[in-house]
Amino acid sequence: MASARKSRGESLLLRYLVLGTWALVCLLPILWFLSIGFRPRTEVITPQPIFWPTFSLDAWHLLMSDWPIAMYLRNSVIAVAGSVVIDLILAIPAAYALARYDFKGREDIGFYILSTRMMAPAIVAVPIFFLFKTLGLLDSVWALMLIYAAINLSLVTWIIRSYMLDIPKELEDAARTDGASDLRILWEIIIPACLPGIITAAVIAAIFAINEFLFTLLIASTANAYTMSVALANFTGGSDGIIYNAIALVSFIAFVPILILVILIQKHLSRGLTMGAVKG
Amino acid sequence: MPTDAPSVLAKGVAQAAPIRPTQPRRRRSPALRKAFPYLLVAPAVAYLLVITLYPGLFAIYQSLFVVKFLTWTWAGADNYTTILQDREFWAALGNTAIIGGISLCLQTAIALTLAYFAYRDPLIRGWRIVYLMPMLFMPSAVAFIWKLAFNDGRVISDLLGRLGLIEGNVDWLGSIWLSRMTLIVADVWQWTPFLFIIFVAALQGQDQEIEEAARLDGASWPKIFWNISLPMMRPVIVVAVTLRGIDITTMFTNVFVMTQGTPGGATETMSYFIYRQGFRMFNFGYASAASVLMLILTIIIAQTVVKRAFHSGKS
Repeated sequence: MASARKSRGESLLLRYLVLGTWALVCLLPILWFLSIGFRPRTEVITPQPIFWPTFSLDAWHLLMSDWPIAMYLRNSVIAVAGSVVIDLILAIPAAYALARYDFKGREDIGFYILSTRMMAPAIVAVPIFFLFKTLGLLDSVWALMLIYAAINLSLVTWIIRSYMLDIPKELEDAARTDGASDLRILWEIIIPACLPGIITAAVIAAIFAINEFLFTLLIASTANAYTMSVALANFTGGSDGIIYNAIALVSFIAFVPILILVILIQKHLSRGLTMGAVKG
Repeated sequence: MPTDAPSVLAKGVAQAAPIRPTQPRRRRSPALRKAFPYLLVAPAVAYLLVITLYPGLFAIYQSLFVVKFLTWTWAGADNYTTILQDREFWAALGNTAIIGGISLCLQTAIALTLAYFAYRDPLIRGWRIVYLMPMLFMPSAVAFIWKLAFNDGRVISDLLGRLGLIEGNVDWLGSIWLSRMTLIVADVWQWTPFLFIIFVAALQGQDQEIEEAARLDGASWPKIFWNISLPMMRPVIVVAVTLRGIDITTMFTNVFVMTQGTPGGATETMSYFIYRQGFRMFNFGYASAASVLMLILTIIIAQTVVKRAFHSGKS
């Protein structure tokens, strides 16, 4: 008994040593970066790094006066929210068909949708750039919305499909014998029953859209369409060099809402991130 | 109460009667029935075709030209013969494989270790939130964090100096491997949580009774993990690592912000190569040729590795 307790104690020590170390690895850079956001620019890049800086709201004032940060935020919100709506409108019927109907080519169509996720943004970057140029959509929030929707459509479809597969068939059969049409069944039974899946898909799509960098960089060439993600790259321009404290502050402004969203769907996160392949 | 039943029935019939005229319209013809699922997937597939097939065809077409601003000059397969002899192209391919490969191995190992220690821990919810945080920063922000830590702010050099590991300042962009390492550190820091979250969920979802039985037989936790849990979660590991692997091969943001390919192209990834050829040097035809080659590679990988991964993941 004593030896058993001893061995358990040892493994606990090791466990917390390992887990605690990684927690520090995660947190220390974040805290240090937070401190960058609240220090004067003169204390960011110094011959010797300063770990206990003087508190300052310089970056905040800079953001408020010199940079249309409200506009970046608005662009991000419009483009991301719009793209998620497009995704849900397209993905829910598609997921329903893939989950519930037996039709020729179902596997191939499903896999085609999945495989679009594997395409590197750089591969389609040049053609998409020319496409939007022809359409006169360069430098607009609408172009970003369409691109984000395309990037996430596969993910959203597969996540929702996975949740639809879990709904017992009996629910629909009962409604069908009552004479409900297929679309009514989808609207009144399936969608409410897989709402957690739809929310998970929406949140994950929103995060990926907020983070998207390459397309935004190419499509958005002025502040008209800059989003939070690409606005960061903007703080590097000009004679001022890289304005790190402003970058840090913007990073945290974007971080907080994402953290809240993720905590809300925590239970579904692993399933969402694997496009439904892993049920957590 | 026996009289009730007929009345209900009668009521039902009476109600059904006025609906009846609409009934035939609602019952679709067999052709429409058959087409119905296709109609449901059509909008999504059409949207994806516009955004993938059209660019694919466009890239193939454009790759046959030398594009100088607005003038397209027919070049046939010239772009391809040049690119296959272009050392920068092969270097980019190799860099993507090296940086991505090392990064992926490290992430998988770290995430598995952490998941092993964390999944039976009472504080698992707390660990999960803390470990998730790096993943929730915008990738461009993470790139700036590490650019400042390694290069501009000299924080890492300073910390290592205090530990007595190095002396003076390290020029992280000055050597091939140090420069690659900064990219790997940034990627591992941000994306280990992705694998961790999935591995923990898989471990928690496993049948606890098998573990209990093995425990009663006197097996130690590392042994149980190695001999029972790990083989059981293999399909999950395959899916998660495949998804992460795909994302790593598209690595762009960190390169763009942190190294821009220095020193001497040692950290230039495929995505950055295409970007540089297209949008810095305006060799659009050449960039398209590179895109086509990368697309072919992607399709091969998708058809083999990914298809298998997702089939095993489903079972």
